[in-house]
Amino acid sequence: MSDQLKAFARSDGRFGLRNHVLVLPLHSALCATARKIADGSIGAVAVSHDWSGEVDGDFDRIVKTISGFAANPNNFATVFLTIGTPNELAIIELAKKIGLVRAEVLNVAEFGSMAKIADIGLQMANSLVKESKLQDRVSAPWNAIILGQECGGSDALSGITANPALGVASDRLVELGAASVLGETTEILGAEHLLAARAITPEVGAQIIETVARYERSINYEGIDMRGAQPSRGNIEGGLTTLEEKSLGAAKKAGSAQFSGVLEYADQVPNSGLYFMDTPGHDTEQLTGFGAGGINIIVFTTGRGTPTGSAIVPTIKVATNSTMANAIPDLIDLNAGTIADGLKTLSEVGGELFDLILEVANGKETKAEKGLHHEFSLSRMYNTVIR
Amino acid sequence: MSMKGFDHGNRGVGIRNHQLILPSVVCSTRVSSRIAREVGAVTFAHQHGCGFIGNDVGRITDYFASLANHPNVSSTLIVGLGCETLQGNELADKLLTKNKSTNYLVTQDSGGVAGTVSSGISAAMQLIRDFPSAATVLPRLHLGIDLSNDNFKVDEIVAALTEVGVDITVAASHKNSGLNFSDLMEAGAHVILSFPDPNQPPSGFPLIPTINVSSGSPLHLAISKDFDLEPQASAEEIMEKIYAVVNGELTKVEAIGSGEIIAAREVRSV
Repeated sequence: MSDQLKAFARSDGRFGLRNHVLVLPLHSALCATARKIADGSIGAVAVSHDWSGEVDGDFDRIVKTISGFAANPNNFATVFLTIGTPNELAIIELAKKIGLVRAEVLNVAEFGSMAKIADIGLQMANSLVKESKLQDRVSAPWNAIILGQECGGSDALSGITANPALGVASDRLVELGAASVLGETTEILGAEHLLAARAITPEVGAQIIETVARYERSINYEGIDMRGAQPSRGNIEGGLTTLEEKSLGAAKKAGSAQFSGVLEYADQVPNSGLYFMDTPGHDTEQLTGFGAGGINIIVFTTGRGTPTGSAIVPTIKVATNSTMANAIPDLIDLNAGTIADGLKTLSEVGGELFDLILEVANGKETKAEKGLHHEFSLSRMYNTVIR
Repeated sequence: MSMKGFDHGNRGVGIRNHQLILPSVVCSTRVSSRIAREVGAVTFAHQHGCGFIGNDVGRITDYFASLANHPNVSSTLIVGLGCETLQGNELADKLLTKNKSTNYLVTQDSGGVAGTVSSGISAAMQLIRDFPSAATVLPRLHLGIDLSNDNFKVDEIVAALTEVGVDITVAASHKNSGLNFSDLMEAGAHVILSFPDPNQPPSGFPLIPTINVSSGSPLHLAISKDFDLEPQASAEEIMEKIYAVVNGELTKVEAIGSGEIIAAREVRSV
């Protein structure tokens, strides 16, 4: 038990670092109603997506993403908006199985119109928000923290400042018993052998290598060179030259701890140790997959500066360079550019980031939370043109 | 039947007078919605604009250009982040309205979120002042029909409307109304007549009023209030509704708020 960490205890033994009421539409046509409820409420949040119940190659991935997101430990309650199809109802059951304790269901077919569920949903959301505010944080063990590592808009300093500083903080958390997750398969391509060498067993090492190889095969199958998108134009402007160079810098986020395992996209993260999750580099598809996997706090390093966040998972932005941090301060929670400026050492900034993670875990709002950045993207593997 | 329209210059004559705040990447959807709320413009969230490859880059760029060029749009403010794959200047090159009723802003060059929101509000207001939309008569209506419920027979309606000079595009290649709406938007339809699948709720497209016709299925009967027309609506009733909506009556989906955009992709994100 840590005397420094206070979190919301869930009845299944998990811990939330936030106490959100999430309004979750299970069909794209209900998203406008979900937004209306959240916007009118006293603090509920909503997400929007473009899934309309299609049962195609991506069905299992989408079901897993939406149910996992609903069940994230940062949710005090999830209000599902549904048209009542068996597949939508199965998502609710799956979320309960993962650990969602408070599930409320508004079936538009039972209430007769979207306007009706907007009215009832608003009352329900407000009453749940009031109830959530009565719950107190309690002392929590370090393994209450499930940290996600993300980088976006990387530049030439990413691998020297913000990413290794995150590595320092991640190592410390893992040592204390927390879980930490590296994602973005695109961005370890070329550095996978270095990560595999740190695997806890040869099998885990082989899995890391195979996850990257599988990813390369899936892109090459399309007959496309992914180097058209990676490194992105912003990365190149920021001074990165190749995908391998970007990867060597991106991998620094994971510090030097051993890798305990490899997770598929949106798999539930075990509650201690360092893991690799197979996610796209696309920032919001990754944020969503992390939320679906039960990650309850994210550190997002950025060279170019990006405002994105998650409706339910606090996302700490760390700048790689002082120029950007000073130019767009309302996006950045911590400037690691001070390392390159020669003002601070890597271990000092790593320590500052560790302290900030703890403060945010205990309730301090991030810039993305203050700005209500609630981006949500479903990750798909298959062609939707022919759907 | 006389039809009211708005003269939108190169975009053509529209039946709605929407200013569009177009986020060219998912990362700027929140900034776009803050700008849109202040100036009463239309915007929507989506997950595109970055981390995509191959044909999708051209496909999504063309798709966004079609949105910005749509006849129901009075002016467009494109809001980017800066480091994304889809660069705003390349999108602007595809616009009929380049250097005219379109403007472009980038968060990474505008001092962050607050800076972009405030310059975005000024830029959007300036577009409205510079490009006032004159009321006019719609010379020719372009109706889009979403036939994701292919049990519905539309021959009679199509024949009757064609006879009175309405251009019609039928989208039936997808079982998903959202994808059909996107095809109809790209074709430039002013208004959409949607026949959703019996197991799908009514839905709509931002910018384009969408009239939903019930199939009479159990789901559709349960939420009949969310449909504009009953399953037994005659061709005359359907035509009457189309003209009412063209002349300003809000559809059920328009009244709830704009729908989602569903843009098809060939390849997974990277």
